[in-house]
Amino acid sequence: MAVRYQITLCDGPTCMHKRSKEIDAALERELASRGLSGKVDISLSGCLGMCAKGPIMIVNPGYTIYGGVSENDIPEIVEKHLVRKQPVSRLIIEEDHLYNRFFRVFGDVNFFGRQMRIALRNCGIIDPENLDDYLSVRGYEALAKVLSAMKPEDVIAEVKSSGLRGRGGAGFPTGLKWELTAREESEEKYVICNADEGDPGAFMDRSTIEGDPFSVLEGMIVGGYAVGAHKGIIYIRAEYPLAVKRLEKAIEASRNEGFLGTNILDSGFSFDIEIRLGAGAFVCGEETALIHSIEGHRGMPRPRPPYPSVQGLFDKPTLINNVETWANIPVIILDGAAWFSSIGTEKSKGTKVFAIAGKIKNTGLVEVPMGTTLRQIIFDIGGGIPNGKKFKAVQTGGPSGGCLPEAYLDTKIDYESLAQAGSIMGSGGMIVIDEDSCMVSIARFFLEFTQNESCGKCTPCREGTKRMLEILTRITEGKGAEGDIEKLERLGNMIKKASLCGLGQSAPNPVLSTIRHFRDEYEEHIKERKCRAHFCARLVRYEITDKCAGCAACRKVCPAGAISGIVKNRHEIDQAKCIKCGLCYKTCKFGAINKV
Amino acid sequence: MVSPLDIVKKKRAEAISRIIGKGYLAPKRVYVGMATCEIAAGSKDVMEVFEKAVRQGLAGVYLSQKGCAGRCNLEPTVEVVEEGRIPVKYGKVTAEMAQQIVERHLKKGETIKDWVIK
Repeated sequence: MAVRYQITLCDGPTCMHKRSKEIDAALERELASRGLSGKVDISLSGCLGMCAKGPIMIVNPGYTIYGGVSENDIPEIVEKHLVRKQPVSRLIIEEDHLYNRFFRVFGDVNFFGRQMRIALRNCGIIDPENLDDYLSVRGYEALAKVLSAMKPEDVIAEVKSSGLRGRGGAGFPTGLKWELTAREESEEKYVICNADEGDPGAFMDRSTIEGDPFSVLEGMIVGGYAVGAHKGIIYIRAEYPLAVKRLEKAIEASRNEGFLGTNILDSGFSFDIEIRLGAGAFVCGEETALIHSIEGHRGMPRPRPPYPSVQGLFDKPTLINNVETWANIPVIILDGAAWFSSIGTEKSKGTKVFAIAGKIKNTGLVEVPMGTTLRQIIFDIGGGIPNGKKFKAVQTGGPSGGCLPEAYLDTKIDYESLAQAGSIMGSGGMIVIDEDSCMVSIARFFLEFTQNESCGKCTPCREGTKRMLEILTRITEGKGAEGDIEKLERLGNMIKKASLCGLGQSAPNPVLSTIRHFRDEYEEHIKERKCRAHFCARLVRYEITDKCAGCAACRKVCPAGAISGIVKNRHEIDQAKCIKCGLCYKTCKFGAINKV
Repeated sequence: MVSPLDIVKKKRAEAISRIIGKGYLAPKRVYVGMATCEIAAGSKDVMEVFEKAVRQGLAGVYLSQKGCAGRCNLEPTVEVVEEGRIPVKYGKVTAEMAQQIVERHLKKGETIKDWVIK
């Protein structure tokens, strides 16, 4: 065997039920009996979405998909395919869905094997600045199908039965939103793509647009047709110049080829899209604030109802969805709602894109079926925590989400289960936190962000987050007082209930969830003036140990003159003078200074 | 009447023949990641190396840019695709490494194992 084969076995729930583990064992046995162990790579993948035809086995190179495989087929597959290089034709299944068609071009199977790429189906595959590339991968076919053979109500029914929910974070059923907008009688309606991605550490929308801007456009045109709108607007932040440039190019190319503009593809339907740049205010990701911003007003939310579907941009019915939601639409149209709704959990269908960042080996962008566990994402795809450190928590949903500790790693990802655990799905930011991070400081960081971004319109958010931030700052500086935790909880719950928009309603989440799961750390900060992660500078004490060689290096760098000692003798730190800058700790060559 | 679906199918056929006309069926296809993140990591310099090599007559290679595939910590990425073989994906590619990929992989067919993303 000159070729090194890679075999991927689907280990999704359905295939597992159909004995994928036994097949794996049979394969190992067969390879061993032929002396081929270690000469073939075997990996288990998450659900590949071909459940009806499972168990599924994919052999690379060549991307041969075998379906309905049993233990008894293994000797034949090994003999014919791996040894004689003749695929076993009776087991081969044809897969013509849009997702994952390009797995064969990904060499790094371990990273991609567990993913299921629907929204990102073309990202990293096509040239995002070339319409031809998009057309070659069945681009704009969904639009053509809709215009050829579907009435607007058919499209809405399809999206509704797909079970797709808003990927911006709140998870409102997309089809229902479309129906509500379509129901309104109005000459003028608008379709908006919310690309105002603002969570720290999140870059799903940017990557989607930079990798495949056409899918988003196609989704929007289909949406426009379904609700009876002729004008689409993409609201994207000015900090994404490349994404903006690629969108502009894509819009122009699509217009030139008749996919946008008047009388699209000779169907009589007209629709055009323009881009509006946002200045990067976090609150403008909230739909009513975003609409105000497009109208030229200050980006501030307003009470709902009326919802944008009734009274949106320029007081006209408006359909507003997030980038990832739009990118899913062409797949639902082409592969069908029935297929789409077969993926995921009972209440959350399809996949979700996550931007994994923080203390993790493979930082990156992944798309997994709903129902995948946090553990699978962080340890199987993400590769776990680097430098042998211990996992402490994972933060999902950005500044609106919460931190979940190790006990929640087996939580299945969907809107409900994450909410139940005290976090949210959010738009897909996922920050992994290791033992070196202080949970109080993390909560403080996120609250500082939302506090800065609070627009100031409603009192609970404007004043409440400010007071919470003051308390948190006090705690991290070692000035916490008995009762602070309760105060934070009371304030947090009040802000959640009384704020006008999603920003305020979710701003206390990082604090409340860390109190819920890491209350002991808060208590240590307050009662013992101790930060176990040695992160809060004011709570750290530096001490010189017996290892001190008396080199005096620390004494020389100390800006406060807090270190004294005779050369070649152990030095000492005067805690009263120490300003906890940590210079001595960094300077010491003997590891003689401890942080306690 | 010609339906929108017919129009799109025709356009797709034309698009594919244009792509083939640009040399897509070459024995080797090289893709350089060019999203903001990859460019920030230095992929423009890498792309330049390949572009220069093609300008100077490197034959049998189809060069294209692509968006981000999600390997943030390994960017810039370069992918060499050959029909019937498992694609080779290089990570953290610099301009110097790109030069080596041109010389050793694209010209001599050697996969530079140390740089391949596992």
